[in-house]
Amino acid sequence: MLDDITLAAGPGEFVSFIGPSGCGKSTLLRLIAGLTPTSAGSIVVGGTNPEDARQGVFLVFQDANLLPWRRVAANVELPLMLRGDSRDSRRSRAKDMLALVGLAEAAGKFPWQLSGGMKMRVSIARALSVAPRILLLDEPFGALDEMTRDRLNEDLLAIRERDPFTAFFVTHSVAEAVFLSTRVVVLSANPGRVARMIDVPFAYPRAAELRETPEFLELLAETSRALRAVLPPT
Amino acid sequence: MKRHLFWVLPVVTGIVLLGLWYAAKALFQIPSFVLPAPDEILRAGWQERHTLVASALLTGRGAVLGFLAAVGIGFLISMIMSFSIRLKQSFYPYILMLQMTPVIILAPIFALWLGQGLASIVAITFMICFFPVVANTTMGFLSVDRNLGELFVMCKATRWQEIRYLRVPAAMPYFLTGMKIAGTLAPIGAITGDFLAGTAQNGVGGIGFMTIAYFSQLKIPALFATGLVACLLGFLFVGGVSLLHWLLLRRWHESMF
Repeated sequence: MLDDITLAAGPGEFVSFIGPSGCGKSTLLRLIAGLTPTSAGSIVVGGTNPEDARQGVFLVFQDANLLPWRRVAANVELPLMLRGDSRDSRRSRAKDMLALVGLAEAAGKFPWQLSGGMKMRVSIARALSVAPRILLLDEPFGALDEMTRDRLNEDLLAIRERDPFTAFFVTHSVAEAVFLSTRVVVLSANPGRVARMIDVPFAYPRAAELRETPEFLELLAETSRALRAVLPPT
Repeated sequence: MKRHLFWVLPVVTGIVLLGLWYAAKALFQIPSFVLPAPDEILRAGWQERHTLVASALLTGRGAVLGFLAAVGIGFLISMIMSFSIRLKQSFYPYILMLQMTPVIILAPIFALWLGQGLASIVAITFMICFFPVVANTTMGFLSVDRNLGELFVMCKATRWQEIRYLRVPAAMPYFLTGMKIAGTLAPIGAITGDFLAGTAQNGVGGIGFMTIAYFSQLKIPALFATGLVACLLGFLFVGGVSLLHWLLLRRWHESMF
């Protein structure tokens, strides 16, 4: 259930949603992706409705969501194949995308041969293969250990330097949200409402060291307080 | 030593069982027309080899044709039923009904409609093999991961693309399982077919037919040899399907690791 969410994001923004379980963070992404129809209100993506805008939008799912019977390269190629790209063009695009996420040598492997972090990278490579203007990420790193998560956060920003998509990111991790975003949206639950919007002023490119600066830690604390304020009493 | 146990153990068990067989026969003085000794069975099988090989080929042909028909038609029907839950609801009870009606009752009806011979045998085999294929494959088509389905929606995949690149591969392990069960049943179906609707040329019919012939002639060792041939035919069938299973799934499916 979402209620009274008003939000506008411009090109190149990185907006994170954070909030208690069941506040509708994932629903919000699904609405933008056009996977769930709106029951009220409107969503405008690139000047049109989400279903029509799908070409420019890609959702990275909570789990990597790879097809187990396709090799890594074939998984990355899938969206290109489905839209009818030629074999050669999608091959070379998949190769580039795998190189971008640092998995060039895994192209011939099957998903079961990869670790959780590697699978997620493949999933991101697959999403980027269609060069989406908007990338929706639904807790993509939620199941990973902290070290892998930090690495992937840094890599995601590095990829964005080269391929400046607009991102909507759902997470349970305050640190992740602050590190990645231009803006963190704190949602409250039942119904899901915008409780706070926190601008993150740090310039890109952001390095891992940012996490140790007092400014970062201060913003982290502020976001945590905002989140605590909306958590239901235990 | 441990490495060899996988074949040593069954071989030892086999020798023990054969020993018990001979011992029981000698101890209770069981005549050969009731229980022939293993060597008598092999000798009778060798004597009747031309008949038995021809008979196995005949039954094998019925089994293969009925099996292929069941697999092909079963796959298509499962696919169609997976398109719409309404279609499935409409037809599934009747498919179940076909399965519940014993083949032993359907067989004479087929013989009446299709005449004695291959057509009836294929139809009976089909009836036996059809349900496991449909039940498993339908389950497979309907067990596609929801997130994967949404991935295809997001990619604006056409219906046909979704079937070809998502549903069919996802259903493959289930389909092959159905096929395996059908594979064990197909020779049984074909033998039941020749038993109930088989014909013979120059005294040679399918395995089921030969069973009746040998029994009425009291060629009991040959009857046992026929059983052995039927058993080998079954192994051949299951072996073939297992090979296909392995070829299609070995690279990606959990069941292979």
